[in-house]
Amino acid sequence: MIERTQADPLVDNLFRREAGKISAWLARLLGPARLDLIEDAVQDAFGAALARWPLDGAPERPAAWLAVAARNKALDRLRRDARLDPFDEGAALRLGFSDPERVGRLDDTLALMFVACHPALEPDEQTMLTLKTVCGFGVKEIARAYLSTPDAVTQRLVRAKRKIGGLGLRFEIPEGAELAERLPALIAAVYLLFNGGYTSDEGEALMRRELCAEALRLATLLTDHPATATGECHALAALICFHHARADARTDEHGAMILLAEQDRGRWDRDLIARGIEHLRKSTDTEELTALHVEAAIASVHAAAPSFEATDWGMLAHHYAMLEELKPTPVVRLNAAIACAHADGPAAGLTRLEALADARKLAHYALYHAARGDLLLRLDRKRDAAEAFTAALDCPANNAERACLESKLQACG
Amino acid sequence: MPNYMLFLHQSSNGPRPTSPDEIMKITKAYMAWADRMRAEGRLKGGEKLTFDGGKVMRPNGGGKVTVTDGPYAESKELVGGYFAISAKDYDEACRVAESCPHLGYGGSIEVRQVDQM
Repeated sequence: MIERTQADPLVDNLFRREAGKISAWLARLLGPARLDLIEDAVQDAFGAALARWPLDGAPERPAAWLAVAARNKALDRLRRDARLDPFDEGAALRLGFSDPERVGRLDDTLALMFVACHPALEPDEQTMLTLKTVCGFGVKEIARAYLSTPDAVTQRLVRAKRKIGGLGLRFEIPEGAELAERLPALIAAVYLLFNGGYTSDEGEALMRRELCAEALRLATLLTDHPATATGECHALAALICFHHARADARTDEHGAMILLAEQDRGRWDRDLIARGIEHLRKSTDTEELTALHVEAAIASVHAAAPSFEATDWGMLAHHYAMLEELKPTPVVRLNAAIACAHADGPAAGLTRLEALADARKLAHYALYHAARGDLLLRLDRKRDAAEAFTAALDCPANNAERACLESKLQACG
Repeated sequence: MPNYMLFLHQSSNGPRPTSPDEIMKITKAYMAWADRMRAEGRLKGGEKLTFDGGKVMRPNGGGKVTVTDGPYAESKELVGGYFAISAKDYDEACRVAESCPHLGYGGSIEVRQVDQM
């Protein structure tokens, strides 16, 4: 299985996309312990393209050109370091070192994901290393996505790669029990990646969108391979499709947030929703029922609703009750209470929200106070509502959210 | 029309673009510029020069030559080299050089006319 190549060979993300594929190809041939050398070789190849393409024109097959250039640069480095890092050139050639046609195999990309998401790494390191090696993002871009500094990201990546180097890993998709044991880390990393893009409080809007798009691509890759196309991976892909379908409708032209109730549903991406429904259907091919299954089902209810008012709140409340059992976190219970308010009225929802007042995690969660404010307003308890919105404004929130809260506070009169 | 050499130098050791997206963007900018030069019939040639191993040779009296490392090894350039373009005079050559993306990435350009004897 080969990943599709885009029709326009010089699309803006060509280097980024090929960086991941070439890295995976070289990691197969040179071993995952040489990630650093591979990264440098890929970088050198881009430098060579910058030097040659303006003068010679773009090569007919840019992706293959880059792969060959990176392979040659890697060989140069290996020959130079031969004394420190003995390397069997003949063996690599037999494995396909001379054949750039083998670049972009799904097996290789997934094997690289299993390396990047190795359990010896912290979850943060797993997502950062995935972004760097599998997705081809630069350190600065990762720092921007995670509100960190390039130096801090570099340090974490160096540490992560050192750990990987010391593990003596084979480059392969695990099988059997080991596969079942290690797949959750990949799912978690993709979920984190998506969450970072979707809900992060700050960070650059464009970068966050790229993160979501990458998460969608990786989730889709997981469902494309028979070894990893589990029900949970399909559920993950479905969830991301449904959420990402709303990306265009979530902000106005000034970048201000538009709430679900006010979104122009005509701007939702219908093709992506259809893809999500297909994944959701396949997610139930097996017996397993995970929190992701239920989260995807919840997202599908929103995606299927023609308007906010016509949302099937009863169904949502039912799904949330199920999710509370599988994943009883304060944030899930908060959302369950909101669904209940829509299904059974604001008073019922408020009772459930008040029951959560002790959850320390929610005390500094703007959405908790905002939800309370909304329900109090609907019950015409304006003064209490104003207090709730004020409390929400005391919590960390991004500018778009703050503007939204301010206008609600004003509505309390 | 005379030919002019545009020598691309790097004037600062500023941050070097490292991410694939950044390098792609720069590559496309240079390619677009070179394409435009080609379309106008101006582009006469060009080469990228490497940065390591550059040497400067000077006569040392008595028929000997001193070879020193050039000022190149230390530079952190991403692009270095030259373009040869045609222009009717220095003013036009400088205007053409001004449109080169090299100046936007911390570089400087030396413009010299090729002497046509």
